[in-house]
Amino acid sequence: MVPAPGRSRRTLTLVGLSAALALAIVAGVALGAVRIPPGDVVAAVARALTGSGGGLADAVIIDLRLPRVLLAALVGASLALAGVLYQALFKNPLADPYILGVSAGAGLGATLALAALGTSYAVRAVGVPVGAFAGAAFTMLLVVRLASRRGRLDPTSLLLAGIAVSYTLAALTSFILVFDRESMTSVVFWMMGGLQNRSWEHVAMLSVMLAAGAVVPALYHRELDLMLLGDDRAGQLGVRVERFKLIALASASLVVAGAVSVSGLIGFVGLMTPHMVRLVVGPRHRLLLPASVLAGAIVLVVADLLARVVLAPVEIPVGIVTALAGGPFFVWLLVRKEHRR
Amino acid sequence: MSALVFDAVTVGYGDRVVVREATLPVTPGQFVGLVGPNGAGKSTLLRAVTGGADVVAGDITFDGASAVGMSERERARIVGVVPQSQVASFAFTARAFVEMGRNPHLGRLAPLGPADHAVVDDVMARTDTAHLADERVDELSGGDLQRLTLAQALAQQPRVLLLDEPTSHLDLNHALQVLDLVRSLADDGMAVLGVFHDLGIAARYADRIAIVADGRLRPPAPPTEALDATTIAEVFGVRAVVHTDPVTGTVAVTPVVRGADLAPAPGATVGLVCGSGAGASLMRRLAIAGHGLFAGALNRGDVDHAVAEAVGAGRVDLPPFGEIGPDDARRVRDGYAAAACVVVCETPFGRPNLPNLEAAVASARPLVLVGEMGEDRDFTGGRARGLWDAALAAGAVRVATETDALAAVERITGTETA
Repeated sequence: MVPAPGRSRRTLTLVGLSAALALAIVAGVALGAVRIPPGDVVAAVARALTGSGGGLADAVIIDLRLPRVLLAALVGASLALAGVLYQALFKNPLADPYILGVSAGAGLGATLALAALGTSYAVRAVGVPVGAFAGAAFTMLLVVRLASRRGRLDPTSLLLAGIAVSYTLAALTSFILVFDRESMTSVVFWMMGGLQNRSWEHVAMLSVMLAAGAVVPALYHRELDLMLLGDDRAGQLGVRVERFKLIALASASLVVAGAVSVSGLIGFVGLMTPHMVRLVVGPRHRLLLPASVLAGAIVLVVADLLARVVLAPVEIPVGIVTALAGGPFFVWLLVRKEHRR
Repeated sequence: MSALVFDAVTVGYGDRVVVREATLPVTPGQFVGLVGPNGAGKSTLLRAVTGGADVVAGDITFDGASAVGMSERERARIVGVVPQSQVASFAFTARAFVEMGRNPHLGRLAPLGPADHAVVDDVMARTDTAHLADERVDELSGGDLQRLTLAQALAQQPRVLLLDEPTSHLDLNHALQVLDLVRSLADDGMAVLGVFHDLGIAARYADRIAIVADGRLRPPAPPTEALDATTIAEVFGVRAVVHTDPVTGTVAVTPVVRGADLAPAPGATVGLVCGSGAGASLMRRLAIAGHGLFAGALNRGDVDHAVAEAVGAGRVDLPPFGEIGPDDARRVRDGYAAAACVVVCETPFGRPNLPNLEAAVASARPLVLVGEMGEDRDFTGGRARGLWDAALAAGAVRVATETDALAAVERITGTETA
């Protein structure tokens, strides 16, 4: 009969995750080198929203902490969205933007843009994400081409090609940096995955890119389910497979490019988050997709919080935190897969 | 008008042509079975319908509309496919899996409505999968998954159903259940095209059989016409006995020997006194061992006659229940006389077939007698027994089993074939 419980479960899950994200954001703003009571955080945000300006304390919250925490949320959401898309399109549970080399491609594209475009702030603000998108899209095509044999995409080849391309592109990025010593330190930190010194402009840019990248997946969640049955079967059930793959991969490249432009290479969020969410909500994208986006945001806000407070006042790049958690997770996935066969 | 038509279509993959100029109409209510050797292009023809293989020339049409260039969505509302196997690596529930079949009927943002759920309920009940609804598909058996795949295809409410070896993962019970269901769908007006390896299954369920071989599709014909022994030898390279299954009343095909296993130039000829199936197995083994065979006079319709025909044994053909006339008897005697030895199989003897035994004894060739000549075999009032004893007295070899008979034949013919 009509599975009414499904609908309420979906609402419950998404409301629960949204509440958890709100809590994580408040905690992210409140905790840090200087602790701010959570009540003050909420009050400062309320004052800023109503325009009834505040003092210096409010400025620290609104201009320094909040954009950084929101950016963490947006980056986590973007990477998780890309992870869901890659895992569905490649029917490969190990796919994520970092492992497929797309992040490295976006990084190289962004670095090339930085090196080529001079120091004009406005030019960089547009040029870097565009470069990152070009790099991400190009890398995706390259990796898929390398892993395809007679039109078939072998899952193992895909991962190998992704890792090989990833290393090559990372090396190229480093090579460019050797000639651009001035910006080397900041770029190296950026490449490690950092969220320091980010502003509301970054939040706005990534919001736009994430929203644009989420349109297709939101409208085509059923097609994503069908893609898991294989390209042939999806086609038999009414999916225009090649075109759908192209626009879904473009969407994924767009959000990865946005994430990499503002925060460099942050690995494993796109891999871990959809997995954890899938274990709880199942594989249907109608729920998996929004739940993963929210969960990805939570994961990175918490990871960034840890990065700031564990060795305070020293900050660890957040990419190191996610890699420390994600590396073992990846191994667990591999081992589990072996056992199941 | 035909629901599905292959109109002089040439299909393949890229530059590689697999089947040339295939023409095959499938009308509503018709179940057509597609058979042929591995790699002949059966599945390629099927895949071409849904864009999985390329249409190089000609056309494939649904009710006159070309399938080539039709949108996937539109096509999925017309044709459902049950593929050979289905990947299920993600943990969808069985019900969610079947619901995916509704995809071509749903609007971009519309969830499944009551009508969609009714269709899903119906197809799950019909495929006997309703009890699996909440199970995870990645934890189900191949048989359950295959029936769910059929349910998924039926949820598309197609007018044309394509099956690629639909029962290869199913046990006997579920295979019959699925095929009975498909048959009833055809009887209700669906056009069904199914690829089968099992010729008997194809003949039992399909109205027409179309054979794919050597890159060509032969015109479809009713099973009794399409599947004769000559065609099977030609297409599959197998000598088979084609008979009517007494239970189902449909064509049944029993492969006897691969053509490749028969010696191109048979060695020493062995005569057999057989009939009623007593010689079938020995004939097969002697043929594979490279012997030429002469099986005496046999009635058409007798199993031994069919096997003799399949392995190309010399024989004298009699009409069903026909008797051995004087002319026939002479030809039988000549046949045995030309053999290196004659094996008398465990055939019962009555008045009509006694001349075979008489001819064997009269031929004066070395005889190999299988089993005993008891009252359970001798319906001639002792005459067969008399011939048997005379043969033993003249030095015939008596053996207990067919294997011993084979060894005896090899001993006798050994020097001659060497």
